[in-house]
Amino acid sequence: MNNSMIASAASISAIQRKLDMLADNVANINTVGYKRKTSTFGDLLTSLMPHETDFNLPGRATPPGYTQGWGVRLASMMLDMTQGTLQSTGNPNDVAIEGNALFQVRMPDGTDAYTRHGAFQLIALPSGDRQLVTDEGLAVLNRDGGDIIVPEGRNLTITPEGNLIAVGIEGTEPIELGQIQLVQVLKPELLRSVGDNLYGMDAGVNPDAVVQQLPVRPVGVSVRQGFTEQSNVNLADEMAELINVQRSYQLNARALASANEMLGMANNLRG
Amino acid sequence: MLRGLYTAASGMIAQQRRHDAVTNNIANLNTPGYKAMNSMTRAFPEMLVSAMGGDNVRSGPIGKINTGVFAEENRLSFGQGDLSETDRPQDLAIVSDILVDGAIFDASGKYVDENGNVIFQPQAFFTVQAADGERQYTRDGSFKTGLDGTLLTADGAPVLGVNGQPIVLNGSWEDISVGADGVLYSKALQEPLPGSPQLMITVVNDPNQLVRQGNGRFRYAGDPAGIRPLAADDRVQIRQGYLERSNVDAAQSMVDIMSALRAYEANQKVIQFYDSSLQKAVNEIGKI
Repeated sequence: MNNSMIASAASISAIQRKLDMLADNVANINTVGYKRKTSTFGDLLTSLMPHETDFNLPGRATPPGYTQGWGVRLASMMLDMTQGTLQSTGNPNDVAIEGNALFQVRMPDGTDAYTRHGAFQLIALPSGDRQLVTDEGLAVLNRDGGDIIVPEGRNLTITPEGNLIAVGIEGTEPIELGQIQLVQVLKPELLRSVGDNLYGMDAGVNPDAVVQQLPVRPVGVSVRQGFTEQSNVNLADEMAELINVQRSYQLNARALASANEMLGMANNLRG
Repeated sequence: MLRGLYTAASGMIAQQRRHDAVTNNIANLNTPGYKAMNSMTRAFPEMLVSAMGGDNVRSGPIGKINTGVFAEENRLSFGQGDLSETDRPQDLAIVSDILVDGAIFDASGKYVDENGNVIFQPQAFFTVQAADGERQYTRDGSFKTGLDGTLLTADGAPVLGVNGQPIVLNGSWEDISVGADGVLYSKALQEPLPGSPQLMITVVNDPNQLVRQGNGRFRYAGDPAGIRPLAADDRVQIRQGYLERSNVDAAQSMVDIMSALRAYEANQKVIQFYDSSLQKAVNEIGKI
């Protein structure tokens, strides 16, 4: 196989992965709280074919050796945590975050996960109380890491600071239920998508290094009840990127075809 | 033996090297900070052909001949890539247009003075620490943060500050702004962070002395006096929230790849013609 063939074949598969990522973004254009993924390419290992010192002839500009690159790879994939637009739904169970923060939820296996997907619901418990859960049924946590239970006959009100108040019929005293857990993302590149619009971390990663609990009175972060956060995917950007990536895929495929033609010529040297 | 058979074979190999270089450029069309490379070819050393012997032939030199071509070097083109906006706080781009007294550089960063001396435009780079502790240079500013808060390149090499140590931050990068000179500021306080960390920008006077290492990084192989830290009057700026795009020209690459392919084909045809000459010599001379 010649070098061009190896380089273009490796690059085509890297570009394919980028296409997959763009398709994922476009597919989630209407997913509440979805954060688009971004990725960057990096050039693959360059090998150096050594030269004898006699090769250092006048007119040569570079140090001895002939460099050979081997294409491109997807160097990193990251989350773009920028704010999505808020849409009013009028549903008191829809909660959106404005600013850099995530809700914390508990997975069925007991581990914690994080999300911006604020389409919550209140499910009735056997006791008659209701619990705040995500639309997948995962418990949303309060500041102390406990479940959020709304007593029977009361409605949940969430203040912009994230304070939870159970309001009953007129004449009854509102009950303070603490504060919803909000964490600030310090290192978005260490968050992993674990499906269902949830983020987790790799095993062995200390969560405190990646996310940090917000203070009781958060600055620059507010919680909006009755709103959902739309996906931050911008279709125009994704399509522009898609065209760009598709064309470079095409160009690599042409380089591959050209390399193939060269091999054919070498094979047909002797008619 | 026919001398030209090997000349044509060397031509095929040299064109294949050119093809490889263009393929690699095409592959890196969307790689941030990538610098295009161009394969330079050189003729084999000339040799003097002399006529000798025979009664009717005047002996003595006939002339000079080259017996082939080889791909000598892959020269990098360090022209500035376009900036594309990403809005990610850790995406940094270098805009570099360093002036040298008396030199007016062309688009490829080269100036030839009246005596024929070639001056290449100095270029600025981020300084990173490779796995073996060696300093390497990159224009790919798509940085990320490691678990301990160290600023890393996309493939995980620490980015160095002016004090020669990796830049370590504990907070979120959302709260940090990077000045044009690489000083890190706190967005809230509008003043440099404690310890005033600053990115180490290295200026390489002759960028041709850089050897590509992969992952967007270069190793400096020239005289240590040829690199220096960024000076205040250098025309270099760091832009936060931008990435420098690859400086590969897709249209030019397509032309180059086609020309390499066709030159390869021409050399292949020459070999075939030599083959038919040899065939005549072997099978037809002396045939009754």
